[in-house]
Amino acid sequence: MTETSLTVAVIDPSRARAAILEEGLRAAGIGTVAVIADGPDLQVRVAALKPDVVVIHLESPSRDILEQMSSLSRQAERPVAMFVDRSDRTMMQAAVDAGISAYVVDGLRTERIRPILDIAIARFNAFARLQRELDEARTELADRKLIERAKGILMSRRGLTEDEAYTLLRRQAMNEKRKLADIARAIITAADLLG
Amino acid sequence: MKIQVGYVPLTDAAPVIAAAERGFARDEGLEIALSREPSWATLRDRLALGHLDAAHMLAPLAIASTLGLSGPQADLVVPMGLSLNGNALTLSTPLWAEMGAPGGATAEVAAAFARVAGERAQAGRPLTLGTVHPFSCHTYQIRLFARLGGLDPQGLRLVVVPPPETVDAMATGSIDGFCCGAPWNSIAVEAGLGRIAALGCEIVPDCPEKVLALPTRAAGYGAPLVRALRRAGSWCADPAHREELAGLLCERAGLGAPANLIARTLSGEMMLDAAGTARTDPFYLRLDAGAHAPRPEQAAWLMEQMASAGQLAPNAALAARAGAIYRPDLFAAL
Repeated sequence: MTETSLTVAVIDPSRARAAILEEGLRAAGIGTVAVIADGPDLQVRVAALKPDVVVIHLESPSRDILEQMSSLSRQAERPVAMFVDRSDRTMMQAAVDAGISAYVVDGLRTERIRPILDIAIARFNAFARLQRELDEARTELADRKLIERAKGILMSRRGLTEDEAYTLLRRQAMNEKRKLADIARAIITAADLLG
Repeated sequence: MKIQVGYVPLTDAAPVIAAAERGFARDEGLEIALSREPSWATLRDRLALGHLDAAHMLAPLAIASTLGLSGPQADLVVPMGLSLNGNALTLSTPLWAEMGAPGGATAEVAAAFARVAGERAQAGRPLTLGTVHPFSCHTYQIRLFARLGGLDPQGLRLVVVPPPETVDAMATGSIDGFCCGAPWNSIAVEAGLGRIAALGCEIVPDCPEKVLALPTRAAGYGAPLVRALRRAGSWCADPAHREELAGLLCERAGLGAPANLIARTLSGEMMLDAAGTARTDPFYLRLDAGAHAPRPEQAAWLMEQMASAGQLAPNAALAARAGAIYRPDLFAAL
């Protein structure tokens, strides 16, 4: 089902995540998708866009601003309600777990919102996974650098070969039940302090 | 037992932070993991969906959440209050000048405010005031202040501005004033942007402000948590601990203000303007034992304010449900 008539606003402190979601919604055939930056004139810009659905990151402080649009819905031209198909707690839980909150205009049917939420949840979760992998890769690289430096210190101070230095590090880590990188860090600190 | 307790960075989150960091929870066999929330909406949703086991919450929001008026419906109880008062209404320096810098009592200030606000509304340029959430005493205090001066609150434009953004919003002229909790009023005053026109307690004495909101399923930790928070609240209210508490809030609460400024908001020694006009009110922010008992009449008053602001259509069934959220019986049983 393509929803060419729907307008979706995306509000997210992370521009990368917003871009990923925007792309996903476009690919799904959503008519208009706009990314709105967090900021003082948020309310004005949301009002001007007149979105049917606002997908906003759970951690955005601007959520309270949108709350006002929903609480004043009786007066507003296009009433906004907090997305909560209140009957569907599993969906709500999945959205919140993924870091998403959504607001929809009153009267929009659940079947029309669900695909949008599904895409948002999938994209947010994929983003979190990528972020985690990137963090792990960064840590791994940093750890490897530490181990190389510690090996170098052992080789020059104790006249060990590279293999011997590595074996010593590993044995120490196993004996103390600590990570190799922690032992390496301790050796580097000691070397820095003691000169 | 380990529990997640949510709070929003404000001076009045002190009892929750002190309970976690100064051993009051541990004494009760609880380990509190504090969760700083970026907005009231996020805190409310996390509490409703079970990510949080308890929260420092706006008193009206606890009621609205349970009645299903705001966010996913939650079944909450309020077994104790965390604070009374603590807000202030700050008006921009240009607005204050336009009001003729009224001296004296709150009624006189409110009248001057109402005059300017009325003129602006007539000219089609209503004054814009910031509140922190639709379901907050800040909203009701702004409305009551307007009424005190003889102005229909409909003549004001109320917008939600998250507390940490109030000072910027005033600096850029997008709001003419705001009602907010400590320490944000003092920060605006310090920056020379605004004038504290009225303390919250001058608009509504002993206004119910933050409460402890617990899900009804809080089995096993409700009673010990209330005991820990009562002791923590009294510890926070003791002037002997003020300096230590200000330091703790400064480092732990993410308030973005220096410890000496936070200490002033704790003692109620308020600086009203950049020229140093001072007003001391020991009841500016109450965390003491007198703030802890949850009174059903507080819930009734909050319901009246919600009805007056058009947030609900009052009826007996709603009033009964709201009254059942406040649980003096649980408080008294401890």
